[in-house]
Amino acid sequence: MSRVATRSAFATFRDQYAELMRSAFLIDLQYRASIAIWLLWGITEPIISLGIWWSIAAGGAVDGYTREDFARYFFGVALVNQATLSWDAWNIDRWIREGEMNFRLTRPIAPIHEAIADNIAYKAPTAVIILTAWIGAATFWPAVRIPFEPGRWALAIIAIVLAAAVRAAEYLWFPYVLSFPVEVLTGTVTTGGQYARGFGGQAIWLAIWLLLYLLVWTRGRRRYGAVGG
Amino acid sequence: MTGIRRAMIVLRAFWQLNWLEELQYRGNFIASLLGTVFWLLMAMLTVALYFRHTPRLGGWEYWDVVVLLGIFNALAGVVETVLRPGIGHLPTDVRSGALDLVLVRPVDAQFYVSFRRLDVWRLADVVLGLALSGYAFAQSGRTVSAWALIAFAVTFAVAIAVVYAIWVTLMSLAFWFVAVENMSALFDAVFEAARYPVSAYPGALRFLFVYLIPIAWTTTIPASALTGRLNPSLALWAMGVGIVALGASRLLWRVALKRYTSAGG
Repeated sequence: MSRVATRSAFATFRDQYAELMRSAFLIDLQYRASIAIWLLWGITEPIISLGIWWSIAAGGAVDGYTREDFARYFFGVALVNQATLSWDAWNIDRWIREGEMNFRLTRPIAPIHEAIADNIAYKAPTAVIILTAWIGAATFWPAVRIPFEPGRWALAIIAIVLAAAVRAAEYLWFPYVLSFPVEVLTGTVTTGGQYARGFGGQAIWLAIWLLLYLLVWTRGRRRYGAVGG
Repeated sequence: MTGIRRAMIVLRAFWQLNWLEELQYRGNFIASLLGTVFWLLMAMLTVALYFRHTPRLGGWEYWDVVVLLGIFNALAGVVETVLRPGIGHLPTDVRSGALDLVLVRPVDAQFYVSFRRLDVWRLADVVLGLALSGYAFAQSGRTVSAWALIAFAVTFAVAIAVVYAIWVTLMSLAFWFVAVENMSALFDAVFEAARYPVSAYPGALRFLFVYLIPIAWTTTIPASALTGRLNPSLALWAMGVGIVALGASRLLWRVALKRYTSAGG
């Protein structure tokens, strides 16, 4: 009997999540011009950096990085950066300041899930756009082709998802939220030790921030007084 | 002639009004000054990092790139002082319908929107940027010539005109799309490319920055004038680009304004 109860609780949760993601996606669709601008904004910086390093590396490898390595690296940065962007601090600030947290607290699902659904609804479609552009570029520009290794890509996806979670919590864990996922993707990370250190670092930071989130969230919710904190 | 005189009188009034408002927020001044100094140090560190791996960046020596960096900062100061608080506010005014109150005034709407709101403290960024350029110029061991100074003054004015035209163009899109506040974030990201000489970029990007998004004319050309890289014909070209950019943006503004139907576009 208890088995049936757990299953249906899970099913409810799943349906709630699907609904949150659907509505977040529909909102993004309404503001598609704005989304397109953010997408362009996200890839501008890696393109500029790539341009400069491309010129500098004209005379030969820079600390072991050739021009092609830079190209692959910054294409990876464009992808990982948009997948690990975090605007949640601004949202939560507004929810608290303007009292928008009120109706969210009356829902049977914690507000963090709305934030997560919102992230997935933005990041999944934009990641597909960047990947498509990348594949298009790779067909006529061999420099940006990355080794065809589905196993590595699976690992890269895990690294990116973990990075996004850590990044949403805070900003100080640079190697784990940007360069590690990119390096897994482009094939710079190869030995078991490097994988262990990267995933280990991500797991530790994620655990720390998850604990802090739970602590601050429970305490903060008690302090919350409808409008203006 | 009277039109220009009237515009000058209105400009003076805007200037005084903004000073009166801003004098209440002196703390802002210190904060933005510290921010700019920090930014300049970081930017110089980045350039120094590049120069550990290369003797020249697009044919420019270290101190020449720093001259350019100072000009970039001065232009960014113009953006922060005039453009972001002024024309950058346009999408909000279009959405809320506040532009109505501007249109009924007996001054040109574009002129009013562009210069009514100024963030006067950020003028310090212009001063700091030009000071950095002067310092780097002295370090580069070049001697200054009257021709170089005149060419710099002219091309710097062109740079301001081009940046202004880009902002008018981007913000006028609000008349079509309404929600374009993040256009200014996009401008910031693209304008970052002007931190380095345009010759440092590969061909495709160089084409983009010279012809399509003309930011090459904003920093590379004035810095070229100071460091003796500019020939007179290119200076004339720059003037042409400035005039065309201003004219085109003015035309777009007029077409865009016709679409305005009060609040919400």
